[in-house]
Amino acid sequence: MAKAGTQGYTPGLVDLATGQISREIFVNETIYQQELEQVFARAWLFVGHESQILKPGDFFVSGMGEESVLLCRDREGEIHVFLNSCRHRGMKVCRYDEGNTQVFTCPYHGWSYATDGKLVGVPFFKEAYHGTLDRSKWGLVEVAQLCRYKGTIWATWDASAPPFLEYLGDFTCYLDLSLDAWDGREGGTEVLGGIQKWLIPCNWKFPAENFSGDSYHNISHRSVDMVGIGPSGRGRRDMQERLMARRLQICFPERGHQTGVYVLPHDRPTAPAYRDSPVVSEYFRHCEEARRQRRGEWGRVTGSPGEIFPNTALHPRQPRTIAVWHPRGPHQTEVWRWYMVDTDAPPEVKDFLRQYYIRYSGPGGLTEQDDMENWNYAHAASRGTIARRYPYSYEQGMGYEVQDFTWEGLHLPGVVMDITEAKSSEHNLRNLYRRWAEFMEAKSWAALATWRRPARATRRNGQRIRG
Amino acid sequence: MSEVINLRLLEPGTKISLSDGSIAEVVSNPLDGVWVFARYLSSPSDAALVGTEEMIFAQDIVEILETP
Repeated sequence: MAKAGTQGYTPGLVDLATGQISREIFVNETIYQQELEQVFARAWLFVGHESQILKPGDFFVSGMGEESVLLCRDREGEIHVFLNSCRHRGMKVCRYDEGNTQVFTCPYHGWSYATDGKLVGVPFFKEAYHGTLDRSKWGLVEVAQLCRYKGTIWATWDASAPPFLEYLGDFTCYLDLSLDAWDGREGGTEVLGGIQKWLIPCNWKFPAENFSGDSYHNISHRSVDMVGIGPSGRGRRDMQERLMARRLQICFPERGHQTGVYVLPHDRPTAPAYRDSPVVSEYFRHCEEARRQRRGEWGRVTGSPGEIFPNTALHPRQPRTIAVWHPRGPHQTEVWRWYMVDTDAPPEVKDFLRQYYIRYSGPGGLTEQDDMENWNYAHAASRGTIARRYPYSYEQGMGYEVQDFTWEGLHLPGVVMDITEAKSSEHNLRNLYRRWAEFMEAKSWAALATWRRPARATRRNGQRIRG
Repeated sequence: MSEVINLRLLEPGTKISLSDGSIAEVVSNPLDGVWVFARYLSSPSDAALVGTEEMIFAQDIVEILETP
């Protein structure tokens, strides 16, 4: 069913005033096609990690929206991201998941590309093209911008998008909770093992909103908590901090990123964790101590699930993972999950974490299975003609957010919702859809980068300006 | 015409003859089954090619002259 001209705020598909969002944005084919252009062709997207392509010639086939892309390191050691599609007839020039190569050769007619994207091999160049084809114009299509940040690699197709760190804004300190070594050193993480990939029959925004901070669905994981898959033999993870920390949801309205965090009291150490293994428990105890010393007050902050707009999910602590929700049509999502670990962690720590991670996450992970079941059936039950008439409710916590949040001497960037007593809020979820609607309506990055407007600069200097 | 050559088996040092009468030596093989990198040892049509390294397309390789 066509819904031309009805996306975004205008017709009430995303109605933040009432906290209602139409099911159409999850199931409508026309809206999905607009998303690919308005969101995925313009936003910064997570592509992979440097530890996956250490040597010249190493490559990893990743995805950006529906596009297959090649993440590779060329002969000179430079990192590139290319569209995985031959310029001649569009065939994938690489059909492997990862590897090392001198060239990417299209199996259809044989055009061949160097790892820096240059077209280097054209069959019958002298005979059929009479030596006149300008090979310099027919290299692989490269992303408009690429950014390496603490080992992670991000890219966008839009040359007018702001640089990645500006795109993140003050959210950077929350992304760091996933990328810094556990003892607080900058960077220092790597990908553990392979990437888990699987298909789920739901729209990509179901998992995206869940990881944005759906703290309401905890009941879904009760069975896993009862089984006790956690690293201390109880629950699904170590959660002792919940008894003493402030539990916060934090979002950045102008960016569309959001996360949860726990903030420990000023004088409280982090509770023991990973008690199933004395070696692992001691490793993290030592790291926590070092982190508090190195980071000072910020060391009181522990990460919780978050989302970098549009489709990169962060799970900073237990298990420590990064996921991408690749859109595969309005009714299907391909999930890719990277498992992260401190690069210099002892082997027994890495092995323990690997086993815990896959017990928790991925297609065989017990916690992720709970989530997928919900998303899959929710999507299926929202596709019908009648079902589409009824919006979802996102009304929790409306009006209770705090613009300038400080607790026991620690100021936290972002708009904060304290859910320590409230238990749950849909504050972060509304933020995801606010930004989504802005992307769907905005004609250019000039309209999306609202923080660049002069009035906003004044606001950063402390003078609140409305409108 | 000679038998179809399996390019993936061509190791560096293999001498090959090409459809234009040139002779070249395989320098490296990306194992894509389509191309090899080779250095020209002789070229009846273009003497300037001798000594240069080029990508050689599978269908331009006529025969294996010598294996290392």
